[in-house]
Amino acid sequence: MFWNFVLRAVHFRRRRLALAFAALAVSATLATALFSVYSDIERKMRVQFRGFGANIVIAPSGGEQTVPLAAVALAEQQGAVAAPFIYTVGRVEGEPVVVAGTDFRRAGPLTNYWRVEGARSAAPGECLVGSNVAAHFRLKLAQKLELEGAPCTIRGIVSSGGAEDAQVILPFDTAAQLAGLPEGNKAAASLVQVRADGQRLASVQAALAKQLPGADVRLLHAVAETEANVVLKLRSTLFLLTALILAITTLCVSSNFSALVLERSKEIGILKAIGAAERKIAALFLSESLILGVASAAAGYGVGLLVAWWIGRQIFPESAAAGVGVNYGVFLPVTAVTLAMATAATLAAAARIWRIKPAVILRGE
Amino acid sequence: MFLRFVSQSIRRSPRRKAMTVAAVAMGTAVATAMLGVMLDIGDRVNRELRSLGANLMVTPKARSLPVEIGGISYRPVSSQDYIPEDQVQKIKSTFWQLNITGFAPSLNAVDSLGGRNVPVEGVWFRRRFRGDGSMLEAGLRTVNGAWKVDGKWVEDWDRNDVALDAMVGGALARRLGVKPGDTLQLFGQRFTVTGIISTGGEEEDRIFVRLEVLQRLVNRRNQVDAVQVGALTKPEDEFARKDPAKMTPKEYDRWYCTPYISSIAHQIEEVLPMAVARPIWRIADNEGKVLGKIRGLMMLITLAALASAGLTVWSVMATTVLERRGEIAIMQATGAGNGLVAALFSTEVALEGAAGGLIGSWVGLLLAEWVGRAVFQTSLDIPAMLGPVVVGAAVLAAVAGAAQPLRRALLLEPAVALRGGE
Repeated sequence: MFWNFVLRAVHFRRRRLALAFAALAVSATLATALFSVYSDIERKMRVQFRGFGANIVIAPSGGEQTVPLAAVALAEQQGAVAAPFIYTVGRVEGEPVVVAGTDFRRAGPLTNYWRVEGARSAAPGECLVGSNVAAHFRLKLAQKLELEGAPCTIRGIVSSGGAEDAQVILPFDTAAQLAGLPEGNKAAASLVQVRADGQRLASVQAALAKQLPGADVRLLHAVAETEANVVLKLRSTLFLLTALILAITTLCVSSNFSALVLERSKEIGILKAIGAAERKIAALFLSESLILGVASAAAGYGVGLLVAWWIGRQIFPESAAAGVGVNYGVFLPVTAVTLAMATAATLAAAARIWRIKPAVILRGE
Repeated sequence: MFLRFVSQSIRRSPRRKAMTVAAVAMGTAVATAMLGVMLDIGDRVNRELRSLGANLMVTPKARSLPVEIGGISYRPVSSQDYIPEDQVQKIKSTFWQLNITGFAPSLNAVDSLGGRNVPVEGVWFRRRFRGDGSMLEAGLRTVNGAWKVDGKWVEDWDRNDVALDAMVGGALARRLGVKPGDTLQLFGQRFTVTGIISTGGEEEDRIFVRLEVLQRLVNRRNQVDAVQVGALTKPEDEFARKDPAKMTPKEYDRWYCTPYISSIAHQIEEVLPMAVARPIWRIADNEGKVLGKIRGLMMLITLAALASAGLTVWSVMATTVLERRGEIAIMQATGAGNGLVAALFSTEVALEGAAGGLIGSWVGLLLAEWVGRAVFQTSLDIPAMLGPVVVGAAVLAAVAGAAQPLRRALLLEPAVALRGGE
């Protein structure tokens, strides 16, 4: 009988309820989408900052000229990306040029910002040249570079706006031989660049400094701090906006639910006149609201995830493989908030049920 | 009569009207707050990103290839390649001068210290100069916001001050064992160390002194070797990658008048013909990417919020009309034409939309302002047009929401409506 009543009420007032449902579902959608985006934004933004390259540099300290190559393996054990670099002076056509050597495979993620014409890496016997070097010696791709001691075929022309523009870049071992650095156990580099996860930066630096007492393990403040700063600010902006929007939509929806009860004063009057208990009437309205609440939370959750997924795909297409920023865990909070909202609003309005005098209401006042 | 009807309707049920207006106001507040924050967040983040350091490097048009490792040159400096110091401040007279947040000229030299060659840079630390009627600032401190200093920065407000002060990079200071207040022997002179600079980068192995002092000591008056420039730029897009030499005049104008890193570099080369300005891609490229992501993200979120705010206003208005079907039927029954009833209701709905919109946009602007202060510690720069535009949108959404149920109500037979049927 009770449920029959509820279902009938829903059926008869379906247009009115559809609107209330829409309002609640829209706010649930927005809540799901915003929470979903918010919960994932830090990770995604930090990925963006990887493009800036290294955030830790291991440089020689004291009287040393080099750092042990073992530093690369140590950094990798910490879960960081690391690459060794060697710098020396070579000669081309009798003129001095800076020769750099690196492990191209390892350095790849650290040198995303290089603008390269041709290939980004070189095998033994091959090399990359900086744009200034190429212009100075009138070099083209696939030409032979007469570098004294290590002639090589040019596979790429690098322009970075930095020191690389005036360098010839060789595979690490070739450059190490040219520089006369020891090999095997005692292999060394001029410096090692490390890219650690922004959140674990301090601990990686501390661990490396402890394991490499003979080297200078430095944090690149500009990159590290800007990353931390921008990520923090974006997160707090999103948080404040999400909270604000939730608060506002909650207010809006609860007034909608109160209206659902208030506009039915006449029905309440009739129910009371034919002897229904106030409690029972309140329960009636509450179950109606809860049905509406659950339905709209579920609908809003579905649509909200879609919106979050769409935003993730539009903005961060490259992280598509690693899940597109959809956070299924927001369902419970969203449902809880939606239901609490519906319950509170209905209860607040239901307080009137006790005050309604059937005679007065039915007379039409 | 028309106006009286509308005002009576509003006066007679103030409670219900207040609720409708409040709902519209809330929707509008959400929209305004989101838009306000979105429109300015790019600029705020752009400024935060400037702490990465310079994104443009200006060097003399070199006749020879620089051979330099870690600030030490392995080829005698050719005295022909330099930028005159007195020309440097022209950088602040280019078209995009307001986007140039700082620049720092420097002169390089090498001296032997502790048995090793050490690069010494003569720089402006923070210098004031007069340009375009206002006092402007330039120097290392305007470009490198993230540098940490133990001790004090060298104060070089006065270009005639020739005090022998030096700042030493952290790694070098550790090697030499110097602390702020110690002295150093450079170029046969006694320099006082005022501070130790920690950056993590190459600067850690260098010594910084006043530009004028180094110019005098190495006898290169009025010369600088490089100028770092920090500029607020627009992220590069397809258009920015086009070759300016191949653009049509119209495209060229558009490129010139957009703060792309390449057009700012081009304008610097125009005022300093002896120099080349190159973007430092490590900074410039990634800055653009990060900025683009943040802008895009905020835009989509705002879009979602706008859509839901619009839907909210729409559904509230639809509800109010639905509730008043009886009234409409009575009006029709007493002989009012459909056009008149529609006009009456639309006016009322538009008024409610406008009232809600006004309150909402005011509240929304306050909220956006609050977010700006809480996160970025400065007030946001919100375009004045935002308020009126949002109010207009609120009125539109309100009328649009009322239109469909109103049409249905008008088409319904009054007798059926009054009986309470569909």
